Amino acid sequence: MNELIVTLFALTLVKATPIIYAALGGVISERSGVINIGLEGMMAAGAFTAVVASFATHSPILGLAAGIGAGALFGYLLAFAATRFKVDQIVAGTGINLICAGGAAYGLVLLFNQPGASVQVASLGSSYWVLVVLAFALAALLQWVLYRTPWGLRIRASGENPSAVVSAGLNPLLLRTYAVILSGALAGLGGAFLSIGELNLYSDGMTAGRGFIALAAVIFGRWHPVGATVACVIFGFFEALQYVLQGQIAWLPANAMQALPYIAALIALAGVTGRVRAPAADGVPF
Amino acid sequence: MNRSSRIVAGPLGAIVLIVVLMSLAMIVAGTSPLDGFRALFVGALGGRNEIGETLVATTALLFPALGICLAFRAGLFNIGAEGQLLIGALCAGALGAVLTVPGPIGITLMLIAGAIGGGAWGAIAGWMKARFGANEIIATLMLNFVAAAFALELVSGPLKGPLAAGAETAWLDPKYWLPALLPGTRLSIALLFALALALLLQWVFARTVFGYDLRASGEAPEAARRSGINLGRLTWLALTLSGAIAGVGGATIVSGELHRFNTQLSPGYGFTAIAVALVGDLQPLWICLAAFGFGILESGGLAMQASAQVPKDAIHVIEGLIILVLAARRYVATRVEGTLP
Repeated sequence: MNELIVTLFALTLVKATPIIYAALGGVISERSGVINIGLEGMMAAGAFTAVVASFATHSPILGLAAGIGAGALFGYLLAFAATRFKVDQIVAGTGINLICAGGAAYGLVLLFNQPGASVQVASLGSSYWVLVVLAFALAALLQWVLYRTPWGLRIRASGENPSAVVSAGLNPLLLRTYAVILSGALAGLGGAFLSIGELNLYSDGMTAGRGFIALAAVIFGRWHPVGATVACVIFGFFEALQYVLQGQIAWLPANAMQALPYIAALIALAGVTGRVRAPAADGVPF
Repeated sequence: MNRSSRIVAGPLGAIVLIVVLMSLAMIVAGTSPLDGFRALFVGALGGRNEIGETLVATTALLFPALGICLAFRAGLFNIGAEGQLLIGALCAGALGAVLTVPGPIGITLMLIAGAIGGGAWGAIAGWMKARFGANEIIATLMLNFVAAAFALELVSGPLKGPLAAGAETAWLDPKYWLPALLPGTRLSIALLFALALALLLQWVFARTVFGYDLRASGEAPEAARRSGINLGRLTWLALTLSGAIAGVGGATIVSGELHRFNTQLSPGYGFTAIAVALVGDLQPLWICLAAFGFGILESGGLAMQASAQVPKDAIHVIEGLIILVLAARRYVATRVEGTLP
């Protein structure tokens, strides 16, 4: 039994990690005033690009860097659309999700000549735990940056009252651009963790809604980095629970159990909203 | 831009964009655009069977697109059409497998079951939004995964057909098959239902109080609330109807094409339908045209992949780019979380 609890605890942290990266990206983006519905796609872009780069260079570290870069690139795309063209951020994010998922599927056929999944590539192997620790460290760091540094104050001001940022002599659009690029980079890192951290390949649909679970975590965590991280650990627990229980209790409906993390996110979403407040200018083009 | 120039600029711009991007995707894949497009169009419109399959895809896209359009008109972003369609299809397939009534009554009951199933799935998100202010975008997407997990569980066990090899229900009695529209193809009269529904919605949006309330709550929620419209009630009603329409679509796939429920029955129709609804500028009649256009891409895409070696997933990249470009128009009135009653 003790062994089971240790397994569950360890697996919870591992399953929470990619969601934490995406959720931190969600926090910083929404704090700056841009809703990033495209987190899911940016994760897929990161996951796929990491595999391609690792395949080409045989270096998982370069793969990781490429994954972060791909996420940042799509973050820039959203930022550009949101700040320059004042697009409907939700519609634009949905477009990015389709582009990334479709692009990865297109690339799978083109590069690996097989639909569904890539070949196996060099992965981070056992050193993936560094990224698990880093996720929690980044959460603490981001909390400090957002609430204790001038840059953090400016980001939050862009999301609450961009006009005030202008009157302070700063450009909220530029701040939003930085924030959304960072958001994409974090989501890309989360995706790369999925593909070359936990596993060693990319398969279609492997992000499985984690970008949206991360958005639920942002709301549940009241737009605070640490709060969102706690929410991610809860969702990670339910994902881990599903794996651990499957092997242990035969009568549990295995397929229905896969719905567990999503149901947890739904309940969290319904349970907390109404009592929390989004940044005032969140999703409002400036 | 005024309304009429928007309508022209939307679809025309979309077509130009599609042609340019498709060419690019073909060149990247090492095929000349000429060969690629030939393969695409021959595959989609080259014969009776091909046209039938294109219209089958058109029908399958049209239902969820109309559902998404309705929710969108109320300012609600429903990205859960995929799950609503799946649950609608599951309900229809499960009912159809055990029915013992005359054919037309059975088909009607199956379509109603699809509407109820899809509607209930949409209603969950609607209720969460209206009661708790929960973000409907996240909720509808989460419900897609829940729907897929439950459907798989049910057709792997209790609802699995006695002779079924994979995860699917028993075959329908042929008397519960929707009559063919184009004999010799899989195209059923479901296409006519979808077109009739588009006409009905066009009328509802333009001429009824409900349609006015929907639009008012989508375009100016605060004004709508002050004029006495119950936003909470409208929210769950819009998402329920939206899901019901997608659910009927799922039921027509079961009764009209596959003649059983299969967990693989939708290759992402519910997501492509978002592009269809947006390209159609949320106008039901334009959406019919957009659905036909995307139907060509869906059914021709397979042929393009087979004979011109262009991965058909290129189509989804293009859908995404079109959505991104169309996002420059404002569709969704911004609603801050938790402000609903």
